[in-house]
Amino acid sequence: MYGWIWRHLPGNAWVRAALSLVLVLAVVYVLFQYVFPWAEPLLPFGDVTVDGEGAAR
Amino acid sequence: MRVLVRTFSELCITIGALIVLFVVHLLFWTGIEADRATAGEIGSLRADWAAKAPEPGSAPAPGPTTAAYEPGEPFAVMHIPRFGKDWDRPVLQGTEPGVLRRGLGHYASTGRLGATGNFAVAGHRRTHGDPFKDFPELRPGDEVVLTDGTTWFTYRIANRPHRTVPGDIGVIEPVPRPLRREVAPFDEPGRYLTLTTCEPEWGSSHRLVVWAHLDATHPVTDGKPPALRS
Repeated sequence: MYGWIWRHLPGNAWVRAALSLVLVLAVVYVLFQYVFPWAEPLLPFGDVTVDGEGAAR
Repeated sequence: MRVLVRTFSELCITIGALIVLFVVHLLFWTGIEADRATAGEIGSLRADWAAKAPEPGSAPAPGPTTAAYEPGEPFAVMHIPRFGKDWDRPVLQGTEPGVLRRGLGHYASTGRLGATGNFAVAGHRRTHGDPFKDFPELRPGDEVVLTDGTTWFTYRIANRPHRTVPGDIGVIEPVPRPLRREVAPFDEPGRYLTLTTCEPEWGSSHRLVVWAHLDATHPVTDGKPPALRS
């Protein structure tokens, strides 16, 4: 999978490395900004209420 | 065969990296975001209050505000000297996950700050800035000080943190009625405060609860209440 991505990036090795870095950063950004905030209430750390309103279901 | 093994290895590495990133997010990033959010909420509240403050020498401010709390909006700042002299957190309306990311959450179904009834507040113990990390350190007699911009409300804690189950809704009733009746702190209606968080620290099997009663009120024009001086 990673080899496939590497082969399909344009340019020489340096350009590919730079593009890979950008791709990694983009993935991390999407994860931190959208995926993890969505996933976190599904885990038990955030249950602090007694009426279940704030609890994960 | 080689392709299979390689793909499987890459998948394992990816999942491992995902888990590490998620832990970093939980332990580190939510704290940074929460610090920024709480500072922002407190800042906007104080700016709001400063704008509304009566001119010196004009008629005294009217009594406690009675405007409804806006869902998801901050309306008070809480100080708990036991958690540190500089510990302050905004109190927002509602206890949804999105609200608790930005500060402490007021159970929408419970009483107003300083009014007769039970003003109940929930907060994260871990992650999102760890606001209630030291919750088990609370002791009877500790002060919980809140301000809504016009009044300082000093509540005094009545019990050591009580451990209960998540469905124990009675603890936030106007006169708290926990499942274990013998730990109920109050017998008759009054001006009460309830704080809840999770127990154990990283789990969700139980909740920790403390109750407090309103001990004193001071207008903000008189300066900080005794509990916050020193």
